[in-house]
Amino acid sequence: MLAMATRFAVPCPWEKSVENLLTRDNLQKWAPLLVLFALVLFFSIANPNFLSMRNFARISILSTPALMIGVGVTFIILMGSIDLSMEGAVAVCAVLFATMFTALGGSLAGWGWLAIPGALFVGALFGLINGLVHVGLKIPSFMASLSMGFVGIGLSLLITGGDRIRVEDPLFRSLLTYRLGGFPVMVYVALAALLIAGFIQGQTKIGRNFYAVGGGEDLAHASGLNVPRVRIIGFVIAGIFYALGAMLAVAQIGIAETVTGRNLMFVSITSVVVGGTALWGGAGGVWNTLVGVLIVNVIGNGMVVMGLPSYVQDGVLGLLVIIAVYLSTDRRSLSFVK
Amino acid sequence: MFELQKVEKKFPGVHALKGIDFTIKRGEIVGLVGENGAGKSTLMKVIYGAYQHDGGQVLVDGRAVRFHNPRQAMDMGVGMVFQEQSLIPNLTVMENIFLGFEQQFVHLGVVNWKKMATAARQQLDKVKLSIDPATVTSKLSFAQRQLVELAKVLTLEERVQGDLVILLDEPTSVLAKEEIELLFSLVRDLRKRASFIFVSHRLDEVIELSDRIYVMKDGAVVDVVDGKDADVASIQHKMVGRNISKEYYREEKQKPFDAAKPLLEVDGISLAGRYNDISLKLHAGEVLCLVGVEGSGREAILRTIFGLQKPHLGQVTLKGRRVETFSAAHGVECGVGYVPRERKIEGMVGGMTVYENITLSQMRNYSNAGVLEIARERGLARDWIKKLSIKASSENVDCANLSGGNQQKVVLAKWRSGGSDIILLDHPTRGLDIGAKEDVYDMVRDMCGAGVGIILVADTLEEAIGLSHTIAVIRDGEIRKWYDCPPGGKPSLYDLIHYMT
Amino acid sequence: MSFIKEFIEQETVNRRNLLLASAYGLGGAAALRTLGATPARATTANPTIAWSYRDRTNPYWNYIVSGGEAFVESLGKPKDALVNLINEGSSEKSLADVKALLGKEGSNLALAIDANDAPNCRPVVEAVAAAGAYVSTIWNKTDDLHPWDFGDNYVSHMTWSDEGPAEKTARILFDAMGGKGGVVHLGGIASNNPAIERLNGLKNALKDYPNVQLLDAQPADWDTQKANQIMASFLTRYGDDIKGVHCANDTIAYGVIEALRAEGIEGMPIVSYDGNQQAVELVAKGEILATVFTNPHWGGGITAALAYYAATGAFKPSAEPKEHREFYGPTILVTPKDAAEFKAKYLDSTPKYDWKDFWGPGNGQIKYK
Repeated sequence: MLAMATRFAVPCPWEKSVENLLTRDNLQKWAPLLVLFALVLFFSIANPNFLSMRNFARISILSTPALMIGVGVTFIILMGSIDLSMEGAVAVCAVLFATMFTALGGSLAGWGWLAIPGALFVGALFGLINGLVHVGLKIPSFMASLSMGFVGIGLSLLITGGDRIRVEDPLFRSLLTYRLGGFPVMVYVALAALLIAGFIQGQTKIGRNFYAVGGGEDLAHASGLNVPRVRIIGFVIAGIFYALGAMLAVAQIGIAETVTGRNLMFVSITSVVVGGTALWGGAGGVWNTLVGVLIVNVIGNGMVVMGLPSYVQDGVLGLLVIIAVYLSTDRRSLSFVK
Repeated sequence: MFELQKVEKKFPGVHALKGIDFTIKRGEIVGLVGENGAGKSTLMKVIYGAYQHDGGQVLVDGRAVRFHNPRQAMDMGVGMVFQEQSLIPNLTVMENIFLGFEQQFVHLGVVNWKKMATAARQQLDKVKLSIDPATVTSKLSFAQRQLVELAKVLTLEERVQGDLVILLDEPTSVLAKEEIELLFSLVRDLRKRASFIFVSHRLDEVIELSDRIYVMKDGAVVDVVDGKDADVASIQHKMVGRNISKEYYREEKQKPFDAAKPLLEVDGISLAGRYNDISLKLHAGEVLCLVGVEGSGREAILRTIFGLQKPHLGQVTLKGRRVETFSAAHGVECGVGYVPRERKIEGMVGGMTVYENITLSQMRNYSNAGVLEIARERGLARDWIKKLSIKASSENVDCANLSGGNQQKVVLAKWRSGGSDIILLDHPTRGLDIGAKEDVYDMVRDMCGAGVGIILVADTLEEAIGLSHTIAVIRDGEIRKWYDCPPGGKPSLYDLIHYMT
Repeated sequence: MSFIKEFIEQETVNRRNLLLASAYGLGGAAALRTLGATPARATTANPTIAWSYRDRTNPYWNYIVSGGEAFVESLGKPKDALVNLINEGSSEKSLADVKALLGKEGSNLALAIDANDAPNCRPVVEAVAAAGAYVSTIWNKTDDLHPWDFGDNYVSHMTWSDEGPAEKTARILFDAMGGKGGVVHLGGIASNNPAIERLNGLKNALKDYPNVQLLDAQPADWDTQKANQIMASFLTRYGDDIKGVHCANDTIAYGVIEALRAEGIEGMPIVSYDGNQQAVELVAKGEILATVFTNPHWGGGITAALAYYAATGAFKPSAEPKEHREFYGPTILVTPKDAAEFKAKYLDSTPKYDWKDFWGPGNGQIKYK
């Protein structure tokens, strides 16, 4: 019956009325931001302490690593693929960064800064392998990246032997401890990276290609795009952002270990989806992800500030994901969802 | 026993069915013929419940009914045997036959496979097919699958009180000659069990099998012919009907093409199962129309020329250079543009703006070291919006929000603005209203004037005749007849249909 | 050293089983008493020493086994004189291995074992007692099973409780706060037994400090990042009211310290648990006021030693009081005062233990609730 059902439900192209689409578009576009404002308002009323510069600084510190990971995976999701390797990628990048940093003298003032491009390279390489496995071996992206994530976790365990590596260089830690206008330096670093991501997304050929592949892979192909190449480049860019996120996570905690990336898969993908980027690809972007990350972290912070237990938090986040996916899906075009 | 009275169906901009009267009696075989776009498939969908009629009545045994979905139609005894077969290939024959109706074999949550196999064998006997019901469907031949499909529909007999009506949609298109005869004798045999509605492009077969034939044109039934009196020629005349308006197809703007400038040469290409030994030439300013029934191989030829499908034999020469690598990227590079039938799948990206769609195939020209020059992109898009009078409030509008005609213009703008001079159009006017169609015709003439060569697979025969300089009639993957179509010396619809069916 | 945390998490399930089993175990205990303790067979001069445990890749068990090996070496034997029985998390394999070894060695065996789960302890002990060999157990045992019901052959049982030590760290914390002000607790995974015990320890200490107030307790899932996030939120909610932080383990404390560092808050009193290397160093620097070390190395050695010396007849278990048969393992409180010394003694080198001092470091007889 299923095959028949799919056939019957093919939508009639004339049915869409323009007004209908407009309201839906607007809802999709602005809902995440409205949700963010509503949450801020709600928590501020519940506890006035919430609405303070110091608290916003706290939320922004917690958001930075997740934002970088979220931005990375946004590019992948825009293409209609998925990347689940971030926890492994972050672990490898964080651990290798800390290892290199320590080996090079353990200070940004000395040769230690070389560890930063080093880690970015590691991230890019990780993404490249991820992309090659996915595209070259024609393995679905979720499976390829999930496996690569396990490889990453295993690799970082092998490097550290399960130990944690401390990074205590005061200059590096000033990313967290030195503040400009109330916000630590790491927040500005993340914003700069976000601007670069925005540039890639909006102003470059590869950014446009991500949307085209996500919006209609066959069409992109029929327009002469080299789709496999676009996919691989997407994974490389994502890897670089994972490396950035890994370094900011190390700056935040001062420790690099195998569990540095823990929970980032859930948080980043939740953020991307809650921000309004469609899981089917082609719509959304890194600005949505910024809003999504803030929503997730505002909920995390606000719930504790209100004194609610954390399992309520998880429940609320789960609910938000369902609503967000519901809103971002044009169900008329999907008669059957696997 | 099954009757349609004054059934109407409208889609925005299209009056698809105009007051259809249709009856079928017990044990009767009724043929349904008409050109592409005449409304056959809409009518079938109303009959088997995929669409709901907006006017008139559907009567079963004199009672008015309304099918909200195919399942309801099946419960009233109306079943459909699909043209593209709807069996799930990785399931066994019996699972397919009883898909969705397994409950009768379930006892305490466990399927009794033996019982199901016995029941399936009983159904297969009805269609005289002796295969093991536990065979995986993908192992069967096309003909066998067709019969399994028929057997599946015949299960309605046991479930439904009253009489069966079974629709056969192009059942012979994938069958060999002797298989067709087998099918026909089977259908005649089955008349005691059910009535049949037989839809086919092959008029001789329809005449051979049917008691009565409904001829459709432009969403209306133009005649009902008795099977015994019918002949192919008269039915073809009825299908074609009205005179062609020369103005409508911009014939006055048709200029002779430049025979000294061949853009494309195709020499003896073959692709197994699709087309065979196709040779053709396209010149600057020429509209070459491929005419044939659905599945005759027209689309596959277009896809090969664009580079999406490599032929097994033969060669393609684009502007004097032989094509070695068949890829879309190469096709685009050589100036070939493809406007596919399904705009949504291969034509334009919904969710991207007008200017983004227009430059999609030529981003290289609008970027510098990977950074896009968006201002220039927009300028280009504005120019083409003006040039083609695309109805979009700006170049920043999401293409998904444009009407079909304007989407089609965006797709054409994409290729034209990129300098493509070989344009492949597959049903460019499908689903468009009359005004939008005329815009597309204007564009076709303008492109020819600019030295572009066009290969067209038209939505209707009138369109093909009206627009083209040259027509190749294709049947079963081979070119059967060439026509030159200068203004005033065009072939008639009848000439074409004669070679098509 | 997060292995301690992992181990404890795994252990929680077993403890739950233990509670369940104890519910219908009472009848069994009565039946056993009628059987009476079999008189101890003749002791043996040179019994085979064996350790039965979960796996070698887990650092916690590595520490346990290193203790067993240290004990064997103290007898002048090579390390590999210790027989390793690895159950890989299977109670069936645990019991089968023990029976196989008994088949070979008969009464000439001194066995140290964690029976993998509580119900498995009884058949193991019964098999050993029937063969006339000697066994000491740790961690898993049902409440109705007691060494004194088996004469000399079931030598001892040791386990650990976190409630008392957690209470001690809480007292250190409250004293550092001057006996007044607000305190927050960041706990482990809410359903984990150690997490519950450590919070209970804090609550017990609170009773004696009427001016200290528990502002909030949230589960941080033994996780540094999560602890960091929760501490930041606590700072928003309670701000300067927070005068001290009670952490359920060291990894949580790291997250708390970084959250405070981000705010430029210095000198906040913090206590934690587990005695990880890094935590001990932080204790030495005064950034953490106290952590607790459970010394698995000693636990592994002393359990083997108990079985061994009972087998050789060096002491007669049935002549010992009950608190020498069932007791809590050691917990060592590490404070800034003794952190350097502790680190030198336990972490930078392995101390030489007197393997005949069976009960000195222990924490008293096991109490059943």
